[in-house]
Amino acid sequence: MRLAGMAMADTDVADPTVSATVRPRKPRLRARTVLIAAGVIAFTVYSAQQSGWEWGSFITVWTNPLWQRFWPIDWEFVLDRNNVLDPLIETFQIAIVATVIGCLLAMPIGFMMSQLTAPNRPTFIIVRSIMNVVRAIPDLLLAVILVAAVSIGAFGGAIALTVFSTAVLVKLFSETIDGADPRPLEAALAAGGRHTAAVRAGVLPEVFPAYVAYSAYVFELNVRASVVIGLVGGGGIGRVIEAQRQFFRYDRILGILIVIFVIVMIIEQISDAIRRRVL
Amino acid sequence: MTSTIDAAPVVTDAPQERPDPPSARWWRLAAALGVLIAFIWGVSGLDIGADALRRAPGNIWRIIELSWPPDFPAVLERGALGKVFESVYIAWIGTVIAAVFSLPLAFLASNNVVPAWIRIPIRQLFIIIRAFPELILATIFLAVVGLGPWAGALAIGFSSIGTLGKWSSESIEEVDDGPVEAIQASGGTWLSGIRWGLLPQVFPTIVAHWLFRFEINVRASAIFGLIGAGGIGGEISSQVQFRNWQNVSAVLIMVVVMVLVIDGISGAVRRRILAGSDRGSAEASTEALGDLGGFLTRRRPTAPGSDA
Repeated sequence: MRLAGMAMADTDVADPTVSATVRPRKPRLRARTVLIAAGVIAFTVYSAQQSGWEWGSFITVWTNPLWQRFWPIDWEFVLDRNNVLDPLIETFQIAIVATVIGCLLAMPIGFMMSQLTAPNRPTFIIVRSIMNVVRAIPDLLLAVILVAAVSIGAFGGAIALTVFSTAVLVKLFSETIDGADPRPLEAALAAGGRHTAAVRAGVLPEVFPAYVAYSAYVFELNVRASVVIGLVGGGGIGRVIEAQRQFFRYDRILGILIVIFVIVMIIEQISDAIRRRVL
Repeated sequence: MTSTIDAAPVVTDAPQERPDPPSARWWRLAAALGVLIAFIWGVSGLDIGADALRRAPGNIWRIIELSWPPDFPAVLERGALGKVFESVYIAWIGTVIAAVFSLPLAFLASNNVVPAWIRIPIRQLFIIIRAFPELILATIFLAVVGLGPWAGALAIGFSSIGTLGKWSSESIEEVDDGPVEAIQASGGTWLSGIRWGLLPQVFPTIVAHWLFRFEINVRASAIFGLIGAGGIGGEISSQVQFRNWQNVSAVLIMVVVMVLVIDGISGAVRRRILAGSDRGSAEASTEALGDLGGFLTRRRPTAPGSDA
C-alpha cells in the first residue's frame, strides 16, 4: 500500500518545460495522497480483522496433515468409467446446451443493447438495465435458486448457465456492435430497408466473426462453471467432487481435477484455434 | 474489422454489374450442422422429460410470484447487511493477499526481467493455480483452516495469484526497455532497474488489474458462503433451504446492489488510475477525477453501517 502512494505521487513529476540537464524536482507528498493511502490501509486492516486474519495460517496451511490425503492419487477410481467419465460427459452436455441456447438468445438481445442497432430508445434502455442486473448476480447463486425452483440435477444447472452465458455474451457482443462501422447500416436504411433487414445486411456480416469467437469463449467459461455447478446440486462432475469431499477423499478429487485440467486445456486450444480462424 | 471500411468507397462512373452473392462455403454448413448435432447430443444426456420441460416455466414463474415482495426487514434482522459487508471484506483481503504475492512473482515471470529457467516454472505455477476452480480451492481451504470467512479470504487470495500474476507479467513485458537500459548503463543494480525503470511504468496498470480482480472476487466471495466460507452466500443457501422465497429475493437484491456498487466504485478508481498515467488525455483525467469525488462521497454513508 506504501507503493500505491508512491505511484500516485509519481504521476505528477514531469514538467516538459524544464530543461533536460536540470535534475527534476522530487515530487512533493501531497495531503490527498496521504489521505487516500491512509484510507486504504485502514480499510485493509479493518477487513483483515473482520475476516479473521491469522498470520499463522500462512504456514499452518502448508503443514496441515490434510495435504497427505491428496497423495497417492486413486487412479483406479478416477479412471473408472462410471465414477468420472460419465458425470464428466454430463458436465459437457450441460455446457453445450447452455452455450447453444445462451448464444442464440444473445444474438437478438445483443442487437437490442447497442445504440447503433436498437430498434428504439426505450427498448435499448430497458434491455440494457435488465442485462446489467442479471450480470451482477453471481452465477452459482442463480444456480442454487434455479436448482431449488426447477429440479435438482442437470436441468436446473443448465438453465442457470444459460442465463449466465446470455448475460456475458450480450455484453461482449453489444460492445462489438457499438464499434461497428455505421455506414453500411445507413446505406441499407437509406435504400429503404426495414430495420431488421438493414441490421441483417448492414451490421451482422461485420460483427459475426466476433460473435463466433465470443461464443467459443463463453463455451470455455461454461465448461469451467459447469464443473462447480454440481457442488450446489446442478449435476455433472461437481456432484462427484462434492460427494468425495464429504469423505475427505482428496486423492480422488485431485485425480478428477487433473482429468478436468487436461480436458479444459484441450478445449482452450480448440477455442483459441476457432478464434484465430474467424477473427 | 477494418476490411469493410477499406472496401467501402469504390466509386466508378461506369454502371456496375451486381456482384454475385458470396457462395455458401461448405464449412459454414458443416459448422452449423456440428453445433446442431452437439446440441441434440447434449439435450439427450440431460434427461429432461417433456414433462419437466413443460412444467419448468410455470415453476419458475411461481417462484417469482412467491418472491414478491422482497422481505427486507426479516433478512436485515438476521444480520444480512453485516454478511454483505463481510463478503466485501473477504474479497478485499483476498485481493490484498494475492496482490502482495503476485507482484514479485509477476516480475519473476517476465521475459525482460529474468532468464527462462526462472520464468517458465513460475508461469507454470500461474497456469496450475488458474486450473483449479475457485470453489473447489475454497472447499480445500475450509478443511484446512476451518469454517469461516478466513478460509474464503485465503482461497480467494490463493486463486487470484494465478490470474494477477499472468496479467501483471504480461503488462511488464510490454513496457519500454529504455529506462531500464539507462539505469544499467549508469551503473544501477538489477533491483534498482526494476524499482526505478520498470515499476513506475507498469504500476498503474497493475493496480488496475488488482481492482478488476477485486470486482471478480466480490462475486466469488458472495458464492463462497454457499459452502460455509463466510459472507452473504450462506444466507442465500439457508433461505433457499427454508423455501423462504421473499427472503431469498431480498438477499439477492442486496447482493446485486453490492456487486453494482463495488463495480461502480472500482471501475471509477481504475479509470482514474489509468487516465492519470496517460498525461495526454487531460479531459479523461478530469472526468475520472469527478468519478473519484463521487467515490469518496459515496463511501462515507456506508461506513457506519458496516458494524451491523
